[in-house]
Amino acid sequence: MQNKNIRNFSIIAHIDHGKSTIADRLIEYTGTLTKREMEAQVLDNMDLERERGITIKAQTVRLDYKGKDGQLYQLNLIDTPGHVDFTYEVSRSLAACEGALLVVDAAQGVEAQTLANVYMALENDLEIVPVINKIDLPSADPDRVKEEIENTIGLDTSNAVLASAKSGIGIEEILDSIVDYIPAPEGDENAPLQALIFDSFFDSYKGVIAHVRVKQGHIKKGMKLKMMATGKTFEVTDVGCFKPQPVDVGHLDVGEVGFVAGSLKDVRDVQVGDTITFADNPAAEPLPGYRGVTPMVYCGLYPVDSSDYDNLKDALEKMQINDAALVFEPETSVALGFGFRCGFLGLLHMDVIQERLEREYNLKLITTAPSVIYHVFKTDGTKVDVSNPSDLPPQTEIEHIEEPYVKATVIVPNDFVGAVMEISQDKRGEFKTMDYLDENRVMITYHIPLNEIIFDYFDRLKSATRGYASLDYELADYQESKLVKVDILLNGDPVDALSTIVHKDRAAGRGRQLASKLKEIIPQQMFEIPIQAAIGSKVIARENVRARRKDVLAKCYGGDISRKRKLLEKQKEGKKRMKAVGSVEVPQEAFMAILKID
Amino acid sequence: MDAKQWGVYVHIPFCRQKCFYCDFPSFAGRERYWEDYTGALCREIAVRGSYYRQLWGRPATIYLGGGTPSVLPAKLMAQLLTKLRQVFLADDKAEEFTVECNPGTVDEAYLAMLWEQGVNRLSFGVQSFDDELLRRIGRIHSGQQAAEAVEMAKKAGFTNLSLDLMYGLPGQTLAQLQASVKQALALSPKHISIYGLQLEEGTAFYRMQELGKLNLPEDEVAEAMYDYMTEYLPSQGYERYEISNFAQPGFASRHNLSYWQDVPYLGLGAAAHSYLDGQRWAALADLDHYMEAIRENRIPVEPEEPATAAIAMEEFCFLALRTARGISREKFRQKFGRELDDLYGTVMKELFAKKLLADDGRCIFLTSQGMKYGNLVFEKFLLDEQDF
Repeated sequence: MQNKNIRNFSIIAHIDHGKSTIADRLIEYTGTLTKREMEAQVLDNMDLERERGITIKAQTVRLDYKGKDGQLYQLNLIDTPGHVDFTYEVSRSLAACEGALLVVDAAQGVEAQTLANVYMALENDLEIVPVINKIDLPSADPDRVKEEIENTIGLDTSNAVLASAKSGIGIEEILDSIVDYIPAPEGDENAPLQALIFDSFFDSYKGVIAHVRVKQGHIKKGMKLKMMATGKTFEVTDVGCFKPQPVDVGHLDVGEVGFVAGSLKDVRDVQVGDTITFADNPAAEPLPGYRGVTPMVYCGLYPVDSSDYDNLKDALEKMQINDAALVFEPETSVALGFGFRCGFLGLLHMDVIQERLEREYNLKLITTAPSVIYHVFKTDGTKVDVSNPSDLPPQTEIEHIEEPYVKATVIVPNDFVGAVMEISQDKRGEFKTMDYLDENRVMITYHIPLNEIIFDYFDRLKSATRGYASLDYELADYQESKLVKVDILLNGDPVDALSTIVHKDRAAGRGRQLASKLKEIIPQQMFEIPIQAAIGSKVIARENVRARRKDVLAKCYGGDISRKRKLLEKQKEGKKRMKAVGSVEVPQEAFMAILKID
Repeated sequence: MDAKQWGVYVHIPFCRQKCFYCDFPSFAGRERYWEDYTGALCREIAVRGSYYRQLWGRPATIYLGGGTPSVLPAKLMAQLLTKLRQVFLADDKAEEFTVECNPGTVDEAYLAMLWEQGVNRLSFGVQSFDDELLRRIGRIHSGQQAAEAVEMAKKAGFTNLSLDLMYGLPGQTLAQLQASVKQALALSPKHISIYGLQLEEGTAFYRMQELGKLNLPEDEVAEAMYDYMTEYLPSQGYERYEISNFAQPGFASRHNLSYWQDVPYLGLGAAAHSYLDGQRWAALADLDHYMEAIRENRIPVEPEEPATAAIAMEEFCFLALRTARGISREKFRQKFGRELDDLYGTVMKELFAKKLLADDGRCIFLTSQGMKYGNLVFEKFLLDEQDF
């Protein structure tokens, strides 16, 4: 295909603003799939993604479209992951495009998430085509939304397409706008290969399959290629495009988007952002913007049943095959036994992995409270990175600790500015900027510890703003903080998995809240269970779970044994969610209690 | 031929008024059903009853429970008892033939009729002798009436009498409970059952608790009541032969024990449960459905969970553990061809260590602490798949 007839684009949208529906309509309209072949939402094909309305893995699809001028165009839609945890992946997907559709809900307007991605697209010099979706909603106000886009992003909206993907309005106009406004790719067909990897997945027949955008040169079956960052070489066994299933067409030319496979076994050899080039005649430079995966949030994952350790290990290994961002290493806890310290891009990533482990591998897991990575500077001049509170050196050996801060961007209706400020202040945030997007909506930025974000910041924002707040954050820097470790003792014994690192000024409060939350969560047992929160040897809070006085089954009418049996089964099922820590049965959710205190 | 030990349970799903704590299958205000239901029941007795009578011979025990069996008018009750005698006993007597009675529903004539019909044991739902408390839990009788009913029963010829008492009731004090226990003993029954109040979904008390309007005694007070009864009753000659049941020597309820000792029983009537050839069955609980099935000559029961070996072993154990004697290793071996200790060795060791379970070499049984935390012990006898 000639470059001038290729368009590479992605769709930027907030959750629920209709990205998947628009993608579906484009696929349908161009005849890439017939209606019958379509699942309800072709591009979000993981169950979990569909349930949560988010995209975790990027998807790509090539659409063949006959334009108004009668020429045939190749439109490559690169669907980007839609969550704050996957910012880097989004940036690489955007780097594979020349343009993007900015889809904004005609009733709701611009959200923080959208804005962050638009800025990223602008940084990548993308041409943006605004699409105002859901214009047939009674509450739609396209003019206000256009104005908002012009005010906040400075985009000209005179060419904005008014659409309703659900009702099929404006689909042809969107396709024509893509052809008219998004530039064709440029590049030298004969230069040494530079292909940008923007995603990868594992296929049990073909090995790792890389999603790529050819920036320079071309790829053919049988070529010997090399990953510039990881150095891995391979021979191309399959190369083609997605429709949306992979179709082997034997080559990818300059400007095109598709996939490459070459019996690669390890997803870590195929890093998002890396550049593929010729093994023998490599490009002088890799494409800009590559960076290794850096987990932001860590937690411990332990099997409830210790005999499941190997199963958990297998499951994590399998999961890692398809997820280069997941890292893990064995870890031992006095309370929980053998498990793994796992690193994630963010809280959602953590949630998704944990849920998939439980659902797809049928594992019962205990997750410890998430933690960030602290830089601990010791008095002996050394520095250690601590992601598990129980690994924090004794206070006497610590010179100082630094914790990661993020730049958090919140967009809310102006009625809620006070609430946002109050919560952010309470979360140790430092106010940075406040801008009016239009007369009603405000964008506020804070410099705030990541640790506070992962502790219920967004939950509190949402409930204080009746769900109107949208949040985006990116890592800013590390700063020194007065941090201490709060330990929890059950029945007099410290439980390492319940330790948490908190700011010194809040330690006493947190300790009290945590102890009282644990009192709610830990069920009565045959003996009384004292719960204590302590900093070092100083007890800062104390609670008691009273002993269960008796537990006898009542009368059994007329030999109804099944009912007794069901009761016992339910009771036993409940116990399966508990971990014996010393002599105390502790429910799974206790280890996440720190996240649930208010 | 009396080849096999088995029992018959007959369910009467009617009450004058539903007690506030009760979630058993029983209905108040269904007087219009009484006659047809009795007719349907008699038919089921004639069909299903006769079949098992021929197969297994005379049942050792017959038990009419509810609901309130004694709510049935004398004429219907006599019709039912006649049918039961005809089918199951011929001219013989049952070893134990019990009818549950509400003290507010019986008079001398009624009790005399029961005695005439071959009933030889009565179980009175007394619950308490405190009138205020009785009213508060939805009972229709007074303490005085309960005492009178017992005296009338004796006069009618009954010697084998049982009284039910409840503890942990809203507003109940330890002193009140002690007084009720003493009043019960003054009537010198042969058998006493004690039940702690449990809040069951769908009951009036459950709703009241949700609304925060149920003034339940503190856990410690309910425990003191339990401790009092489990110590005091044995000291007065009532042996605790099962978690909730106490009897003078020789008066343990054979029918009650059969539930725990793996004895088969045939349940007749709506919502009745049967245990036949190792399979558990439940009868249709809806009265109309039940009567319709009988009218159409359909068997009114449905199998419960299929009886796998694992389920059979689990139930054998957690049911036997309710009795003072516990699980007999020999009986387990005979029935399942496996060693109890092979299957449950680890669990038993843990429970011995916690002093919830004891071992006399032949049987394992609950300690008094174990009876107090029975559920925790029973649960341990549910098997996991990997246990096989």
